[in-house]
Amino acid sequence: MEQRLRSEVKALLEQGKIDRVIGFEPGSLKFTTTPLITSDGGDVDHLVINPFIVNNLSVYLTGTSGRVGIVAKGCDSRSIVSLIQDNKVLRENVVIIGIPCSGVIDLTKVERLAGKDRDELDDIVRQGDKITVTVGGERKEFPASEVLFDNCLGCEFPTPREYDILLDEPVTPTPDKAISEQKLDSLREMPPEQRWQFWKEEFSRCIRCYACRNVCPACFCERCFVEESEPQWVLPVPRWQDNLIFQVIRSIHVAGRCTDCGECERACPVNIPLRSLTREMCNLAEELFNYKVGIDKEAPPLFVAYELEEAEDLIR
Amino acid sequence: MADSKRINKEDTGRLLDEWSKEFSVSVPSRENGMPAMLPWDGKDTSFLEWYRNTVIPPKANFFPPYEKMFDFQKGAEGYHLELPPSDKQKQLIFGIRPCDARALTILDTVFQDTYQDPYYLSRRANTVLVGLGCTNPYDSCFCTSLGISPGESTDVDLMFTDTGDGFFIEPVSDKGRELLAATGGLEDGLEADEARAKDVKEAAYRKITRRIDTGDIQQRLAACFENQDYWEKVAAKCVSCGICTFLCPTCYCFDINDELSQDEGTRFRSWDSCSFPIYTRMPMENPRQEKWRRVRQKVCHKYWFYPVNLDITACTGCGRCIRLCPVNWDITQTLNNLPASS
Repeated sequence: MEQRLRSEVKALLEQGKIDRVIGFEPGSLKFTTTPLITSDGGDVDHLVINPFIVNNLSVYLTGTSGRVGIVAKGCDSRSIVSLIQDNKVLRENVVIIGIPCSGVIDLTKVERLAGKDRDELDDIVRQGDKITVTVGGERKEFPASEVLFDNCLGCEFPTPREYDILLDEPVTPTPDKAISEQKLDSLREMPPEQRWQFWKEEFSRCIRCYACRNVCPACFCERCFVEESEPQWVLPVPRWQDNLIFQVIRSIHVAGRCTDCGECERACPVNIPLRSLTREMCNLAEELFNYKVGIDKEAPPLFVAYELEEAEDLIR
Repeated sequence: MADSKRINKEDTGRLLDEWSKEFSVSVPSRENGMPAMLPWDGKDTSFLEWYRNTVIPPKANFFPPYEKMFDFQKGAEGYHLELPPSDKQKQLIFGIRPCDARALTILDTVFQDTYQDPYYLSRRANTVLVGLGCTNPYDSCFCTSLGISPGESTDVDLMFTDTGDGFFIEPVSDKGRELLAATGGLEDGLEADEARAKDVKEAAYRKITRRIDTGDIQQRLAACFENQDYWEKVAAKCVSCGICTFLCPTCYCFDINDELSQDEGTRFRSWDSCSFPIYTRMPMENPRQEKWRRVRQKVCHKYWFYPVNLDITACTGCGRCIRLCPVNWDITQTLNNLPASS
């Protein structure tokens, strides 16, 4: 896939079909990748595809000018479609280079299983459904289901549906909702008081760095409501109450746009399980409106569409 | 060393217990979901096994993410201010790393510059820092490029070195010397401990392989300050979140906000970040609308403006900005790839 990606991108740049490309290159730390945004054909050989391509690169689309080639996993391509639906991105300005994705490795899970930090591991190798971690010369094997991100384990659309180039054969989806929503299920089982206490504690440690918002392609507002000062909806002071209100409103704002890419939770430096909120928004969009995000670029966005017969139920 | 001491690791809890009688003791803790310096619970010393460094830097123990500055009421004769009770509790931070201890020395230059910040400085005055040398630095660490040794510190009061089964304890400041003299149950340090500690410090130093060239860094930054192409390129993937600045042990920017209700209210200060597009929009506009200007500011402030103004580099090589960045933006690459001239 990697070789084909490089040659496709090289050709697109040479033929003037794109002005720049957004992809992944090796990161500066072990087992990481980092976004590469470049118009320089010389950088193309740095492009990689591996089980560590965590970022949802579509977050860069709204800030990138010209015609853009973008490397997209299944969830990322749905984010692009959602951005097209919202008129934030013009379809003709993007060349979607689709990666059929069999899931991304959650290093936090690997660290927990291996009992070592990322930089103390010698190697992590994925072969099909097995992931082999070498620590201190010793090899440990784990099933992918223990090591991939929760959202990957529940992924219904691993292969981009919207693409210009698909780099490999489609991947058969094997979503396991139960495993993917384990954390969420434990929250559902809690009595409301306990759940309130849970979120109060989680949001007590939020520092309001806004990484969750800034890595989110669905958070495309030019001015976020938390930055309004007249009226001031929320204080920038990171008290748990303000933090919770920020995140609750953000979750509602991204409902119908969130593709469960999991970036908010991954980016959070203080480990708040944000995906439990956003995943629930995806579930609600599906249950209430039979709406799956980023599937149809011609469809109006969920909360922009309005049908009279729906209104009464909503208001009631 | 004549005034050095030693302690077995299994006696660490007893030592912390003894110090708890006089101090509010903080230790590395994951109790709150990620490593931070939190009050010791009186029993758990498991951090001795897992602790490498904290996510939340110890600056938060002196300059917390937010704090109340004062309450105010509007009366007939103007405003009445009520300051929060000043924190007289003596605190002891156990296990601070040399990079983070240096960061406090750096922050001191800001908080006791022309304005003496009572909130930060009273906590500093009331605190004893007990350093713990690194034995297992992260691959993101580059402290040795900033003149810091992962195993040694002149910025703490007492320094602990892990010698395997125990710790070799060296007093660094008078405060540390006094504390050590008043602490019971410690044996005198042996020559063998000192020799072992020296090896441990040297081994830790050698483990740090990430480097930046600080030689003529001010000149190199000045030479490419106007090189917009370079800064645009390095800034392209930055998402302008606050992680690298909030979790930087030397970043000190804060915002001030009032919570108002009728004729009274509370004034808070909370961490702010030059990465945010709305930074400084309250007094006027942000002069750095474009992302590349904000990224350039962050880099130049630490390695150029700070040394010029306060004679110290505002980076300790702790690597948090690299390790915790959601897009792996790496300041060492930005510095090492600076073009020779614009």
